[in-house]
Amino acid sequence: MVEGRLYDGLTGHPHTVAVRFDAAGIRLSQSGGWSDAVEASQLRRYDPAPDSLRVGRKDQPGWRLVLPLDCADDLQSLLGKEERYGRWIDRFGLVPALVVGGILTVSVVAIGYVAPHWIAPHVPMSWERNVGSAIVGDFGDLRCRSPEGQKALEALVERVAPGATQGPNGIKVAALDVPIFNAAALPGGYIVVFKPAITETDTDALAGVLAHEVAHVRRRHVTEALLRELGIGAFIRTFAGNVGANAEQIVSLSFTRDNEAQADGDAIAMLRRAHISPRPTAALFVKLSKEQGEGRTYSAAFLQSHPLSGARARRFAASFDPHANYQPALSRDQSDALFNICWKRPATK
Amino acid sequence: MDAYTSAPAEDGRAIRFTGSWRDYLPIAATNALLIVCTLGIYRFWAAARQRRYLWSRTHVIDDSLEWTGTGKEMFIGFLIVMLVVAPFFLFFQFLFPALAARGHAVAAGGILFLFYIAMIYLGGFARFRALRYRLSRTYWHGIRGGSDNPGWRYGAEYLGRYALSVITMFIIFPWAVTRLWNSRWNAMSFGPLEFRADLDAEGIVGRWIALYLTPIALLAVGGVLAAMFGMFAAGGGPAVKESMAVLLIGIGVVVYLAIPLITLAFYAKYFRQAAARTRLGDLEFGFDASTLQWLGLFLGNLALAVVTLGFGITYWGYRNWSFMVRHMHIYGAIDVSDLTQSTTHAPREAEGFADAFDVGAI
Repeated sequence: MVEGRLYDGLTGHPHTVAVRFDAAGIRLSQSGGWSDAVEASQLRRYDPAPDSLRVGRKDQPGWRLVLPLDCADDLQSLLGKEERYGRWIDRFGLVPALVVGGILTVSVVAIGYVAPHWIAPHVPMSWERNVGSAIVGDFGDLRCRSPEGQKALEALVERVAPGATQGPNGIKVAALDVPIFNAAALPGGYIVVFKPAITETDTDALAGVLAHEVAHVRRRHVTEALLRELGIGAFIRTFAGNVGANAEQIVSLSFTRDNEAQADGDAIAMLRRAHISPRPTAALFVKLSKEQGEGRTYSAAFLQSHPLSGARARRFAASFDPHANYQPALSRDQSDALFNICWKRPATK
Repeated sequence: MDAYTSAPAEDGRAIRFTGSWRDYLPIAATNALLIVCTLGIYRFWAAARQRRYLWSRTHVIDDSLEWTGTGKEMFIGFLIVMLVVAPFFLFFQFLFPALAARGHAVAAGGILFLFYIAMIYLGGFARFRALRYRLSRTYWHGIRGGSDNPGWRYGAEYLGRYALSVITMFIIFPWAVTRLWNSRWNAMSFGPLEFRADLDAEGIVGRWIALYLTPIALLAVGGVLAAMFGMFAAGGGPAVKESMAVLLIGIGVVVYLAIPLITLAFYAKYFRQAAARTRLGDLEFGFDASTLQWLGLFLGNLALAVVTLGFGITYWGYRNWSFMVRHMHIYGAIDVSDLTQSTTHAPREAEGFADAFDVGAI
């Protein structure tokens, strides 16, 4: 028999009660003659305070019996062990739960990141095309619409990747009048080049940049990124909060870096086949790495998550063959047309 | 009839924190491990465990608080909110770039505007619901708190007051936040007792003006110095140039230090006033944390995280809660026989919205 404090859940007034434990549950009584019995199945534990233990009734919210600490054994034999980590984890034990959870987590993350790499090539191009055109449309007023310039831009893509713009699944390349030095491959085989990337660099370097983006499209890297983003990326960002989102970004960056290196490799091969010197592209990367500073390459699209520009510059420069017969990427007229692609003729009445 | 009055404890405080960081260590460590090993899903159960500990170590007058919320209900609440909010987010995520890419800048801007309106509305709603949920899961003497107000109107008021603040370039911000504090707390109750808050902007306006004028004043001083620098640069030697550069850098440093510090000073005063102007039945509250103590809390949190290579973040909840409790005061008496059970509707959706919008409850 121990003395406990009872809150009946109806008022906050504490009642002093005598508590007796038996096999079926607990019996409560008061000197005035009041008594009550509660079955063990009706009882549940609440977190103990430093100086007391607490039980409640499942059917009466607010009903609490506060017991001295030395009732711990009686309570344990009546109600089993205290819940600690949550029902499932308590059942398995903490260490097994951590091991199983750890293995599951690693596998889910691994599959979530690796699977898009295998799935992407099997996604029908027409599906991706639909998603792509839903997202990008025709770019409206942003698009540079000079017909000669557009022809030259397509010619430049054809020059590094013959046949790439042909057929229903051909690459669609567009110049956008956006004042950022950048280029990007978008879902659905779209490649966009922003105006400064055309006007502030020479055609041979732009050929290198375009070859890189064509490689992304051909290797389905964009599809892969989209699948990763909508799958495991969304999952982690949803459940793990900010810390998880940061971790997710680091992992996905390291994966895209592999893709970037692969696209660079393809671009170098394309330039070689097209007899275009890789040096202007290398020079462009040197310039970009100077402008940005090494290690600060996490800006938007083309530069985002790309290997450090200095290292890329060295890779392109190393592919230079002194015995090769390099040709300009475009003719003089084509280059001029491309340079003026975003120039709008003043409206004539 | 035993009427319990405040100040029964040996140190004369009606509310005390009785936890210790050593007691909490096993909870912090296992929570961190389990969160990592479950891709973050365990964080709802981790939050429940943390609160059960913190509440049970918060002694009010003659008994400790009790947290009865569960990880499962918070998890389900979060899933429900995600089901509601996710399509909205996805729609926006595709619609906005689609419009922008097609050159419909105005339409894209309009959509962005609507999106922000909705976000602010739901943010206010979330804050209200989180407070209501937390009160409904907090027991003392077997009695809980809550509210019968669903909070939809509070969301609208929140949106309206923030819109007014933006329109007036935040000049009326102190009035907006104090009115919102009143609206939020006046809708809450504990047992049969209603919270009553009549906070006004008096007392915090001074700090707001200081915060408002500091950047302007610093810009003006910077401008004058830059002009002087321009004048002297032609005639002055390298020593003048150097001292001018040092001055300009000094102003930059002041901007980075002064603005956060004045912001902290504003909120420190705000919380002291807010507690002093909020009552529950005959109970009155007080809060005595100074700006320096708040600064100590934040710098301590930061240092803890750095020194422990990030693990210390698991202690932030503990430190913040114990800080609040240690600086809080309760005055007056409460007759527990009159403290009948709350008749408010106990919400079932937990705090999914607050979780989704990353807002706190108080």
